Amino acid sequence: MNAPTGLDFAAVSERVQTEVQRAIQRSIKGVEYFSTSGPTLGSTAKDVLASRGTMNLYHYRPLTDEIYRVPILIVMATTNRGYILDMVPGQSFIEFLLKRGYDVYMLDWSAPKPEEKSLRMEDYVLDFIPDSVRRVQEDSGIDDVTVIGYCFGGVLSLLYGSIFHDGPMKNLICFTTPIDFREMKLFSNFSDRRYFDVDRLVDSVGNMPPELILQSFEMLRPASRSVSQIQLWENIWNDEFVKSYRMFDRWATDTLPLAGEYFRTITKDLMWDNKLFNDAMTVGGRPAQLDKIKVPILHAVAEHDHIVPYDAAKHLIQKIGSTDKEEVILKGGHVSLVAGPNAVRRLWPKLDSWLGGRSI
Amino acid sequence: MADKSNDPVAIWQNMIGEMEKGFNSFANQAMSSPEFSKMMNQAGGAAAGAQKQLGELMEKYLVSMNLPSRSQMVGMAERLQSIEGQLNEIKAMLTQMSKASGVPAGNAFGTPMPPRTRRPPSEGEPK
Repeated sequence: MNAPTGLDFAAVSERVQTEVQRAIQRSIKGVEYFSTSGPTLGSTAKDVLASRGTMNLYHYRPLTDEIYRVPILIVMATTNRGYILDMVPGQSFIEFLLKRGYDVYMLDWSAPKPEEKSLRMEDYVLDFIPDSVRRVQEDSGIDDVTVIGYCFGGVLSLLYGSIFHDGPMKNLICFTTPIDFREMKLFSNFSDRRYFDVDRLVDSVGNMPPELILQSFEMLRPASRSVSQIQLWENIWNDEFVKSYRMFDRWATDTLPLAGEYFRTITKDLMWDNKLFNDAMTVGGRPAQLDKIKVPILHAVAEHDHIVPYDAAKHLIQKIGSTDKEEVILKGGHVSLVAGPNAVRRLWPKLDSWLGGRSI
Repeated sequence: MADKSNDPVAIWQNMIGEMEKGFNSFANQAMSSPEFSKMMNQAGGAAAGAQKQLGELMEKYLVSMNLPSRSQMVGMAERLQSIEGQLNEIKAMLTQMSKASGVPAGNAFGTPMPPRTRRPPSEGEPK
């Protein structure tokens, strides 16, 4: 009897054999999964330069014999932990920068305590960032500092850069940074001022609970968590897949609470009034206008970003006052732009080639 | 290897991918309506209030059982963090003092720093 057209019995038999082996591996590895912890994250050697309430400033130990003159200060998003940029050796943005000869500092956040519910936007933009920049200058002995902001860390860096436009920021790099908050359509709808009583919420809970923040992120793609669990089960025989899944899952669920007053300002000034986009933003009474920023700027955005859609980020370069400015649109999503195999191939080398010449 | 169009595993994976896209897109459309926002915020407001009350009740229960609550554990972790922070400040001050007294240069922790003389590699040079 002839085989039906296109059906190769040898290949089918090989496929069946592979699937049987994988099914056995799944049972073994499935037990292992629940009895072991994930890989250690954020393990690149660092010193804590300052720690004050929610603010932590780290200095990573150099890995080369010679470093660029200008140090880098990374400003992390206030909703998530900084170890997304320092996952495991070989998949760490920090390690990459160190190996390419940069001197790296990171402003990372711990969960604000209940008594820190009164922290305002002013505390972040006019205190924590300038204080960290001053400490980087003191520690490195260099006046110039390159600032890199990820997601909302990018928004804070823009606010800082537009208020302190006379220096000492030498270069600015933003990753997936929204400025037109109307275009974050779902978040905009979730926080519709007709129905979302931010005052009542903040007054009753103090700090915004991390569960609510995580829920709002997950609602953007409600089916994705279940699908990722199906994919985990399918690939549980694959150690590399499991390691990567655990790293990203742990980070994604390790969401931080947001200080109440700070959240109130984000909702009213950015989500409701879109003040940064409308050139009407002020922080502590000081105007923060993007056209005041004149330093070289690189903005990296992701093609398939479901958290910060391109429409919310695309006007940044146009509104910035710099003449040396560039936007790069790379394949990937909000997280895979900065971490994981996609970032290793795309964003990191691009950033190195852009920044090297501007760091001397 | 079997043709992808005949491979049941590939068909299954493709189907799951398509279902995910379809469901996410359908849910996103539903969530963009003002009605959804109204309903979500009514439910969310009540849930946040209930969560707070439950937390307070649980805290009282743990105190009566002579057990530390989550907030007390977090408080302890934060105190440790603040002690670590103060130790770091002291270390940094000591290094500054030793710098002032002529000890060779390094960063705030006394780690010797490499010279800041690096330049970007020229075309073709290994990085």
